[in-house]
Amino acid sequence: MALYVINRLLAVMVVLLVISMLVFGVTQIMPGDVASTIAGQFASPEVVDAIREKLGLNDPFYVQYWRWISSVVTGDFGQSLIMERPVSALISEAFMASASLAIVSFISVTLFGILLGVWAAVRRDKLADNLVSTFTYVGISIPEFFWGIVLIMFFANYLQILPSGGVASISASPGVWLSHIILPVITLTLTLIAHVSRLTRSSMLEALDSQYVRNARAKGLPERTVIFRHALPNALMPTITVLALDVGWLIGGIVVVEVVFSYPGIGRLLMFAIERHDLPLIQASILVIALIYCLANLVADLLYAVVNPKIRYGNGE
Amino acid sequence: MTLLSIKNLTVSYGSPPYQLKALNAVNIDIAPGETVALVGESGSGKSTIAMAIMDLIPRKAVSGEIFFKGRELTSLPSEERRKLRGRNISIVFQDPFTSLNPSIRIGKQIAEGLTTHLGMSNAQAMKRAAEALKEVGIADPETVANAYPHQLSGGMRQRVLIASALVCNPELLILDEPTTALDVTIEAQVLDLVQEIAARRHVGVLFITHNLGVVNKIADRVCVLYAGQLVEEGTKERVLRDPLHPYTRGLLGSIPKLGHRESRLTPIEGRFPDLTDTPTGCIFEERCPFREAACSEPQQLRSLENRRIKCWKAEPAQVETWPVTERHTSTSDVRSSDEKALVELQKITKRFTSSTGKLTLKTKLGFLPLPAVEKKSVGVLNEISLSIGRGEVLGLVGESGSGKSTLGRIMLKLIDASDGRVVFDGKEISDASDGELKEFRKRAQIVFQNPTSSLNPRRTIGDAISRAFKLANPQADRKTVRKSAEELIDRVGLPIRYFDRYPHQLSGGEKQRVGIARALASNPDLIVCDEPVSALDVSVQATVLNLFKDLRSDMNLSYLFISHDLAVISHISDRIAVLYMGTIVEEGPAAAVLDAPHHPYTEALLSAAAVPDEAETDKKRIVVKGDNIRRVTHGCVFQGRCRRQIGSICETTKPPIRETDQGLRIACHLSVDDLLMGQKQLAENS
Repeated sequence: MALYVINRLLAVMVVLLVISMLVFGVTQIMPGDVASTIAGQFASPEVVDAIREKLGLNDPFYVQYWRWISSVVTGDFGQSLIMERPVSALISEAFMASASLAIVSFISVTLFGILLGVWAAVRRDKLADNLVSTFTYVGISIPEFFWGIVLIMFFANYLQILPSGGVASISASPGVWLSHIILPVITLTLTLIAHVSRLTRSSMLEALDSQYVRNARAKGLPERTVIFRHALPNALMPTITVLALDVGWLIGGIVVVEVVFSYPGIGRLLMFAIERHDLPLIQASILVIALIYCLANLVADLLYAVVNPKIRYGNGE
Repeated sequence: MTLLSIKNLTVSYGSPPYQLKALNAVNIDIAPGETVALVGESGSGKSTIAMAIMDLIPRKAVSGEIFFKGRELTSLPSEERRKLRGRNISIVFQDPFTSLNPSIRIGKQIAEGLTTHLGMSNAQAMKRAAEALKEVGIADPETVANAYPHQLSGGMRQRVLIASALVCNPELLILDEPTTALDVTIEAQVLDLVQEIAARRHVGVLFITHNLGVVNKIADRVCVLYAGQLVEEGTKERVLRDPLHPYTRGLLGSIPKLGHRESRLTPIEGRFPDLTDTPTGCIFEERCPFREAACSEPQQLRSLENRRIKCWKAEPAQVETWPVTERHTSTSDVRSSDEKALVELQKITKRFTSSTGKLTLKTKLGFLPLPAVEKKSVGVLNEISLSIGRGEVLGLVGESGSGKSTLGRIMLKLIDASDGRVVFDGKEISDASDGELKEFRKRAQIVFQNPTSSLNPRRTIGDAISRAFKLANPQADRKTVRKSAEELIDRVGLPIRYFDRYPHQLSGGEKQRVGIARALASNPDLIVCDEPVSALDVSVQATVLNLFKDLRSDMNLSYLFISHDLAVISHISDRIAVLYMGTIVEEGPAAAVLDAPHHPYTEALLSAAAVPDEAETDKKRIVVKGDNIRRVTHGCVFQGRCRRQIGSICETTKPPIRETDQGLRIACHLSVDDLLMGQKQLAENS
């Protein structure tokens, strides 16, 4: 087990290192120049050159990379070119806003995805199963920004019961906070709930058909016990892996949803940074997003070990 | 009062005209304390009976009555049936490897029944579960109760399943092929256990099996099932020693028997009937060699000399002999041994390195402690030397994990040995060039165990064989290829029209024939047959074994015939090698291996391969203790399980090879005379 954890941790480190190189490399070859962005449109070439010299932009790229990465490790992402504030402060504000959105979404995906999947599997080929199947087809085949627009039109413009955008503090007024977050969460999770429930349904069906479930039934256990104690834990293994992969989807979705609902999170920050060529901000947001993704997968791998004793105890005697 | 009484049980799926009748009006009674064996091949419906009793198949498929202690079950609500399951009627399923939940601890899986049915607290139930584990002969019940299934061996898991079935003291125990997935030495232990517990607790047992040898060991009465119908029922002695129904006779005739090596097996010809369109007359008519016009009338189960039989014709006085089919090969079976060996294995050793291991710190560059993974190396084969002559059949018998398949693959250079040499026709193949290897592949072929998974489902039979032929004869034109493929199909006894069929249209036995035809396509000298009949039903197995025998004498083929079944091996082989844990413990001419003296392990194998039509009381069953998963590094591989272990020498020193006058070689510390004496004593004591 220790070996397994160390293995996973090492893998995450390597992935992050590679991503940091990629991020740095991409921002190097992006059109636009940091010095001219800082100096403004009408600056003379001499001024731009001076800024270049000052920022060390004439150094070889690996020197620049080293300078960047060694300060990133200490939590210093540099200064935003446009906002003229430290990047880390901007990121952490946006991160907190996005995190609450992501966490609520992820919990909904996990909960509703699994529940719907189990429900459909247990009622195989009955009305419930068909309803869930129809929902999942619709959910998977239509992109999320479309749902976002439909929801805004219906709840914010037509019914006028929910705000169409913005954010509120959860500590000040939980009700208002919820009313702001509910539409983005629905938009964000519809596709993923469909995805997770389809997968859970099929792995649950497989578990319900297994010999050990037949054996559990033969022991005379009540059907509830058979489903939730015997079938579900085994059926969840592929679901956990996919949930971790879905975090990537979720993050991609957050960028879109935050823009649609003008939600001040990391996705909107990234869009803003790209539009304005704010290189330090771009680098930092992408790196943070990658970090979140890697950590989600790490958590999934560890969870996997918890539900699967074969990983926890190895295959020995 | 009978414990269980099944009346007119019929199970049918779907609706007419595509209704599949899995069971057709079956009647069975079981008295308390009685063991009734239910025998049949795959598709006979024997497991369906168990599932119907347990209420584990859709209710609407079941008609007829099931009385348990006088209470009719089929009309009870599901919830009432559930309360009987595991409490009054328990079942042990076939496959111990998949029947336990992989993510729940063993103790909990046993305790569940107690908390559900007897209302015990968790602590009480866990305590009782540990006791139940002890009762089924598990030495360390607390540790096992805390373990997960994957940490236990197959034999242990089957014991756990038996413990879990018995924990609520049921009155009826159903065992559905409980030993089929187990090795023979473990099978003997499990059968002993079941018999002992059933007798002590006076439990009624319904024992479902396809293995008539097992029936002979365990049953009081036998019910023979064919295509969903009960065809013969009576005491074990009557049915096995003096079968009357042609199907029972055919089944017994198709089983290879130890010590009857020359006789040709008498398979049941024809195919299993289509259960969606069963005939109104005798269900076996189509395949019965004694059929007459009157067989097409509906058959009644009639009583005859304390047994019931579904055949109007069968009379004990006038039993016709079963016709011997096809040719009879008796001559040219004996090979001259002075001929040069076709293939020779010299001190073959194989080790596998595990992909994971213990994490340790290792000093690198003299001072730097770095984490390193200490990988485990497992010895699979230890210095195996064997040879096969031209036209000779070498039988290789061993349990799962003994390394027999690995050895077969090394012989074909499908995998490489860690050490040692393979010499084929005087040339060493381990360092052969690509061209030489290509030539070698033509001359050495393989037939696999599972005929279904070894054929491409998207390719016709003709295509599969043609490709094999084309590979060996790249110059051949289309016409020649087609003609040769047809010849090969004919050669393995299939009709030419099968050329354009797909594998799923063929039965298991027919698919295996295709596998054999494909191996023959390059006109090989050697075929490695890796458990080629173990996935087949006995009646089909007999036809395939006959085919192997015929081909060998027609084409002067050599086989390495790998099997776990000593009876099959003894039927087809000239010489036999017994493999245990990667070591040859006994090797020699077939007759000599079957005769005393034996290596103590061979002795146990022989005892387990009991012949179904011999009285079991004549022989004392040898039960080998222990499990076959422990690897030993020093001394004799059979130490710890051997009933004739003489002391510490068995644990420290590798046993010498003892040779007898018959050319038998036994690896044992006991001398030939000592071995012989012990075996004589055993025979006298019983």
